[in-house]
Amino acid sequence: GAMTPGMPMFSPMMPYGSGLTPQPLQNTNSLSILEEQQRQQQQQQQQQQQQPSAGLPGTSGQTPQLYHSQTAAGSTTTALPAGTGLYSTSIGPMTPLTPATPASESSGIVPTLQYGSYSYLEFLVSLLNATLVLFVSVGLFFLFVIRNIVSTVNLGCKLDLKTIALRARNAEYNPKRFAAVIMRIREPRTTALIFSSGKMVCTGAKSEEESRLAARKYARVVQKLGFPAKFLDFKIQNMVGSCDVKFPIRLEGLVLTHQQFSSYEPELFPGLIYRMIKPRIVLLIFVSGKVVLTGAKVRGEIYEAFENIYPILKGFRKTT
Amino acid sequence: MFAAGLKCPGCGSSNIVDDDLYCQAQLVCVDCGSVVSEGTLADDPVGGTDVSYSRTTAVTKKPCLNLIKGLERVKEMCRILRLNSEIEELALTYFRQAYQQESFINVTLQRKEVLAGCCVYVSCRQRDWPITLGTISSLLDADQTLLGGVYQEMIKILNIQAPFVNIADVIEAHVQEYKISAQDVTKELAEDSKVLTKRAVALVELAGDSWIVTGRRPLPIMMAATYLAWQSLNPNKHRLRLSLDKFCHLAKVQKRNPAVTRITEMKEVLCKLGRELPWVREAVTRDDVVRLVGDILEHRHTLLTRALRTHETAMLADCPQASALNSPTEEVAPSQHSESRDQTADASSVVQLCPTDRMENQEGDDSHQTEDPEPNWGKRVLFAPPCVIHAKRRREEPPAQNFTGDEEISDSEIDSYIRTPQEARDFALMQKAVSSSDNGNP
Repeated sequence: GAMTPGMPMFSPMMPYGSGLTPQPLQNTNSLSILEEQQRQQQQQQQQQQQQPSAGLPGTSGQTPQLYHSQTAAGSTTTALPAGTGLYSTSIGPMTPLTPATPASESSGIVPTLQYGSYSYLEFLVSLLNATLVLFVSVGLFFLFVIRNIVSTVNLGCKLDLKTIALRARNAEYNPKRFAAVIMRIREPRTTALIFSSGKMVCTGAKSEEESRLAARKYARVVQKLGFPAKFLDFKIQNMVGSCDVKFPIRLEGLVLTHQQFSSYEPELFPGLIYRMIKPRIVLLIFVSGKVVLTGAKVRGEIYEAFENIYPILKGFRKTT
Repeated sequence: MFAAGLKCPGCGSSNIVDDDLYCQAQLVCVDCGSVVSEGTLADDPVGGTDVSYSRTTAVTKKPCLNLIKGLERVKEMCRILRLNSEIEELALTYFRQAYQQESFINVTLQRKEVLAGCCVYVSCRQRDWPITLGTISSLLDADQTLLGGVYQEMIKILNIQAPFVNIADVIEAHVQEYKISAQDVTKELAEDSKVLTKRAVALVELAGDSWIVTGRRPLPIMMAATYLAWQSLNPNKHRLRLSLDKFCHLAKVQKRNPAVTRITEMKEVLCKLGRELPWVREAVTRDDVVRLVGDILEHRHTLLTRALRTHETAMLADCPQASALNSPTEEVAPSQHSESRDQTADASSVVQLCPTDRMENQEGDDSHQTEDPEPNWGKRVLFAPPCVIHAKRRREEPPAQNFTGDEEISDSEIDSYIRTPQEARDFALMQKAVSSSDNGNP
C-alpha cells in the first residue's frame, strides 16, 4: 500500500478542515522516504499508462499534457473527499512548474525535496490535487496548436554578410533595407535573420525542438561557409499558439466587464486584445471563438493563460 | 566710491567715482563731470554677458507656438461637433498633458494635429458622447490607420481608459447626416429623420443580436441600416429601385463599400425571421423582405424565439439523443422580453449542445468525427458570425513531426544550401552586370 489511510493528510491547499493535526514527520532527506517516493512514482506511472486519455479527439503530438498527468484519480489517496474535483488552485509553492528547458512533453517531473519544512506526504498530496484539477480541466476537447516559435542563438563570431549572401543559395541580403541576411531552409520550414555580430534569430518553427534543430542547421550552413560558428545561448523568445472554443463570443460584453485588461476597437481591429497579467500573455479574441495567444516563453504559460480565459469566455456564451 | 590714485584730466581733482551708465562702466570726476575713462562694449565677455537675454528681458516663458495652435484646433473641433464645455475642457487638459510627452513633442505637425483629434475623441467617449473614429478622421482628413496608431499610443502614455461606444447610440448622429428630408428631395423619397432613426436603431439592434455587428466597422453597418430603414418605411417602387450607390448620391453621403455586404447579411437575417410571420403565405426571399421589415421589427423578439424553436426541431430530427434535454425549453412565453431572451439563450445553448452530444456519443470514430464538426459549428446554429459561416479554407498543414532537436544533420542537406564555386562566380558577375546597367540607366 502506498499511503496508509490512517496517516493525517494535511495539505495547505485543501480548503476543508479535516480536524486532524499534522504530525511532524521525520527529516525529508531520510533514505527510506526517498525510496518510497520512487516506488510511488513507478506505481503512478504504471497506472497512468493504463488510463486512456479522456475526450481528446485525434490525439496528435499536440495534446496538452500540462503539468504532468502522472496521477490516476483515486489511485493512492483514499482520504480525499469526494468534492475535491474542480476548485481552482493557485500555482503556489508546492505546485511543480514546467521545466524551463524545452523538454519533450512526456518527461516526468521529479518532485524536488527542497521544501524543507513541509513533509513529504503533504507535498505528494498537493501534487495530486494540482494534477487532478488540471487533468480534469484539461480533459476538454480543445486542441492547441503552436503556430510559431521565435528563438535566438549566438554564433559566437563576427560574420561577413556579403560573403554569406554570395555563397549561400538560400540567402537574401539587401543592406539598404535591412542590415541582416535572411536565410531559409526547407526542413524544418523556417526563416533566420543572421546579423553581422554573429547573433541569429530563427522563426517559423512549430515546436521548441524544431526551432532548435533549425537553428543548428543554420549554424552548420554558416560553419560550412567558412566561419567558426558555435551554438551559444539558444533561447526561446516567443511562442504563439491558437485555439478555437467553438462558440461565438460577445466582445462588447467582455470589454465592459474586463475593462482593465481588454482593448476592443472595432474600427481599428476586429478582435479584442486581452493583456493577461499572470501569466504575462497577450490574447487576441475574435467573435468566431478563435483565440490567439502570444508572448509566452514556455509552453506552460500558454496553457495557463487559456485555462484562465476559458471560464471568462464561457460566461459570454449564453447570450444570443 | 573713490577710485584711488586717479586724477581728472579736466580739473585735476582726485574725486573720481564709478558711475556706470547702463551697462557701461565709467569713471567720472565729481567736480567737473568729465568722463575719465569708460569701459567699452568690446570689454563685454566673449559670447555675450553672463546674464542671458531672456533673463534680462524678464518675460514669463511663453508656451510653444505649436501647443497654442494645437489647443486652438481642439477648440475648433469641439465647436464643429457642438460638444459641451466639459468635454472641451477635458480635451484641452489631455492635449496639454500629452503634448509634453516625449513621443509627441518632436513629431510632425500632422501627428500633432491627429493628437488633437484623438484628445477630442477620448474626451467624448469618457463623457458618454457617442462618436466614432471615422468622424474624427473625416474632420481632420487624416488616414484612419494613423489616427488609430496615435490613439493607442496616447491612451497608453496617459494611462487612461475609454469606455466602449455602443453603435446604437452613434446611429442617431449618423442619420442626421443624410439629406433626405422633405426640403432636399422629392416627396416619394423624403423621410423624417426621427422616424428613420428609430427604425435604423431597431435594425442595428437586431443585427447586433444576430452577430453581424461584433468585430465589424460600425460605419458600413449604420449605412446599411439607414438604407434598409429608408426603403422599408415606404416601400414604393421608387425607393425599391434605388441602389445603395444612388441612395448615397441622393443623400449626399460617401458610400462605404462593405455596406453592400452588410445589407445582404441583414436581409438574410430578416428573411429568417420573416418566415415565421404567420400571415405570410408565400416564401420570403431577399427581394421582397423589405416590405415586411416593419412587421418583423415590431415583433422581432417573438419571431426570434419562434425561429430558434423551428430551427431546434429541425436539428432534433438529426440527433434524437438531445430530445431529452429539450423538454424544459418547450414552453415559450413571448410576451416579456427578458423571459424570451432567456428562452432564446436556452434554446441556442441546446442547439449548441447537440453537436457536442454527437461528438461525445461517437468517440469511437475518432478520425471520422474530427473531419465533421471541424469545419462548421456555424452552419448548425441559426445565427452565427458570418466569418464562421463562410469560414476561410485553411491551408493544409503538414502533419506534425516529432523532433527531438538533437538529430543528426546530414552533410548533403547542408551542401544543398551552398553554392558551388562556379555558381558563386556566375552570381557575382551577374550582380556586377546588373548594378552597372542600373548605374548606366538611372
